[in-house]
Amino acid sequence: MAGKIVADTLEHSTAGSVDTQFVVNGSAKAWGHMNGSGTPAYGDSLNMASITDNGTGNYTQAFTSALANVSYSASGTNGDGSAQTGGAICNRSAVYATGSYGFTTTFTTGSTPAAYDPSDVSTSINGDLA
Amino acid sequence: MSTILVNTLTGTSTAGSITVTGEGNSTTTNLQKGLAKAYINQDEGTSIIKSFNVASLVDNATGDYIVNLTNNMSDANYIPTSAAVPHDFTASSVSVLHGTRSGSGRDVDTDHFHQRTGKVSSSAVDSTSVRSTVHGDLA
Repeated sequence: MAGKIVADTLEHSTAGSVDTQFVVNGSAKAWGHMNGSGTPAYGDSLNMASITDNGTGNYTQAFTSALANVSYSASGTNGDGSAQTGGAICNRSAVYATGSYGFTTTFTTGSTPAAYDPSDVSTSINGDLA
Repeated sequence: MSTILVNTLTGTSTAGSITVTGEGNSTTTNLQKGLAKAYINQDEGTSIIKSFNVASLVDNATGDYIVNLTNNMSDANYIPTSAAVPHDFTASSVSVLHGTRSGSGRDVDTDHFHQRTGKVSSSAVDSTSVRSTVHGDLA
């Protein structure tokens, strides 16, 4: 039988205490590791319902449970196996919606960054659930 | 206000799964999955300023650092996200994260991950600071 505890603070015998608002507010609400080349697919994820390939280096991640507003934080890192490419999650043209997060991935060969589909994309979302 | 005095939180149905009600009171999330499993704030080289669940930091090569974890992850599909501080802000020297690549591909295993930093021109360069956070499942 599942139980329910309502509490404001968790206290460890030696490591200190934490207000449970930090447990609720501080936990990542979604994260995912995916291969973005070809048909994008998650290796592992939390609260990610689907990933849509909008074009080269442009994806939309749909959440299973929506966020409360569009002011959430999104971060990520990407790369792939090519020795001459490294990249970053780029929030230019990012689309923040309560039900999804759209972003671009870039690589940095030469002096002009360009969009590309990396084989290794990690993203995490922090904020409030609806 | 109430306080729970406890050293370990364990789910009743599944030991590693506890449900937490979300901020808006209409949805729930998983406590264990939402918690960061490791983080590191490191200076250039192998100086760890602040970390959690990090056993050691190895300066593997120019712009290539290996973060070794104390408690392993369950598989290699976890989520290391990072940010790097460049040496300077001139256009040719701005360093960027080159992901977790090492050699011919993504180099992430259950007990470690790589951080790669380089110039916009893609040549490797050390960063004055790299900060990473890991999400995913512990072993």
